[in-house]
Amino acid sequence: MSIGTSLDFFLFVAIALFAIGAIGAMTRKNMIVLLMCIELMLNAVNLMLVTFSTYYGNGDAQIFVFFTMVVAAAEATVGLSIIIMAYRNLKSIDIDMYNQLKN
Amino acid sequence: MDSIVILFITGLLGLFVGMRRQAVLSLSISILGLIFAGIAAYFRGTYISPLASYSGYIPTPSNVIILLCVVSILAVLGGFQRYKQDEEHTGDYLSLLLFSLCGAIILAQPNDMMLFFIGLEILSIPIYVLVGIEKGSATSAEAAVKYFFTGSFASAIILFGIALLYGATGSFQIIEIQSNLAIGIWQSPMAMLGSLFLLAGFVFKIGAVPFHFWGPDVYQGASNAVLMYMSTIVKIAGIYAVLNVFGQIFRDSYFFWIDLIALIIVLSMFYGYITAWKQTSFKRLLAYSSIANAGLMLFALSDILNSNILLFVAAYSFATIPLVVINQLANPTQDAIANWEGIAWKNPLVGVALVIALFSLAGIPPLAGFFGKFSLLLAAVPHLPYAAILALVASVVGVFVYLRLLILALKKPTVQTKQSLSIEQSAVLLLTTLGSLSALYFI
Repeated sequence: MSIGTSLDFFLFVAIALFAIGAIGAMTRKNMIVLLMCIELMLNAVNLMLVTFSTYYGNGDAQIFVFFTMVVAAAEATVGLSIIIMAYRNLKSIDIDMYNQLKN
Repeated sequence: MDSIVILFITGLLGLFVGMRRQAVLSLSISILGLIFAGIAAYFRGTYISPLASYSGYIPTPSNVIILLCVVSILAVLGGFQRYKQDEEHTGDYLSLLLFSLCGAIILAQPNDMMLFFIGLEILSIPIYVLVGIEKGSATSAEAAVKYFFTGSFASAIILFGIALLYGATGSFQIIEIQSNLAIGIWQSPMAMLGSLFLLAGFVFKIGAVPFHFWGPDVYQGASNAVLMYMSTIVKIAGIYAVLNVFGQIFRDSYFFWIDLIALIIVLSMFYGYITAWKQTSFKRLLAYSSIANAGLMLFALSDILNSNILLFVAAYSFATIPLVVINQLANPTQDAIANWEGIAWKNPLVGVALVIALFSLAGIPPLAGFFGKFSLLLAAVPHLPYAAILALVASVVGVFVYLRLLILALKKPTVQTKQSLSIEQSAVLLLTTLGSLSALYFI
């Protein structure tokens, strides 16, 4: 940690970001915002991985971060296309409108 | 060549062949690719996969790859009637299915958390797309949206667990994680929290009780053809991943975690079977039955070395696929159990396959489902005696769920109508029936 801050600082930021993403994913209604919340969770984990990588002094986790980014990009692509398909059917991207499946 | 490489090349080829808009051609290429992948796994010998980048690599066992390929062949054949309806996209659907199978094979034997996460995502992302293949239907869109959001939320949770475990142990290789946890690190809050997050994500993915809520909705909205693939392959690959990851991670903290696992098992079985009672939609009934079966599969965690999970998942797949094929015949457009009335009398093959599949799923003795359940419970009894007894009670409730379906299907119809089967559907029904009966051979 050359910039004079401790490991804890980065971990607290990462956990706070993850918690914001998770709470957002559970409470928000707009599907685009939901997608952003999930991306936020993935990026919080990236920050955490890089922090641990610096702590242990090996590069494994930094390689993992690239994979996570690729996965996040693929998920965003599929997610946006699913949202477009859903919008064409129900003319809404409010997740509460999607409640037709029941017994 | 590696099975994964064969499947990937077949998938790419299928995308190009799909441009010719000939459904049968796309189908035959996919089936050939799946057969070759199975053969390549069988004759693997000492061949080392290009994915083996380090010495600790253990390849996926051949029998698991062969089971995954066989189940995929059955799912592709059984769902072909749906896939060929929009001939423009048949090739795309089948290629997505093959790509997702590549992920399932990677996921079935993870040695490294990185490989494991990539496998999980390769398995899941094509299925998010496949669930939404009925582009004009609002229910299919709803199912795709729900599956996508819950699935990617679970992926993020799993990733968080992996990061915490890395923070606690300093490695992504499962063997190294295990050896680091063994020296007492498992008691550190970071390792415990990491394992808990990983477990929660897994329970989400295989659909056992605390996080099962997405299952029924997604199953109901998905098309029958996709349901065949989704309800079997995801469970098989998921349970193998659970066994391989948690078999190592929980090895030194076994007595700490096993009670939690037992609670998940018992809750899943009772909730799944009791809720399945009052369902009016076949797909929802199947979803609740799969929640109960996911609970049963977790029994393998109690004694990883001695339990025979392969038999159980094979029996489960060979019983689920024919039921969905029959549902495709009974409910071409709607989705109601009432339409099953008298379906067994409309075609002799349908009747035989239906009785065998339901008996096998219920666990009636001479069929494969019984031996699967029996071997799982036999291995679990010394470790989890109370959970095993409760599981037996829940199974009795389950038998009545399946018998209710059987009685409805066997009701003699007043008007005799014939139901014709296509060649590939009869092949699927015949093969799965033989598969369920083949347990007799091994006695």
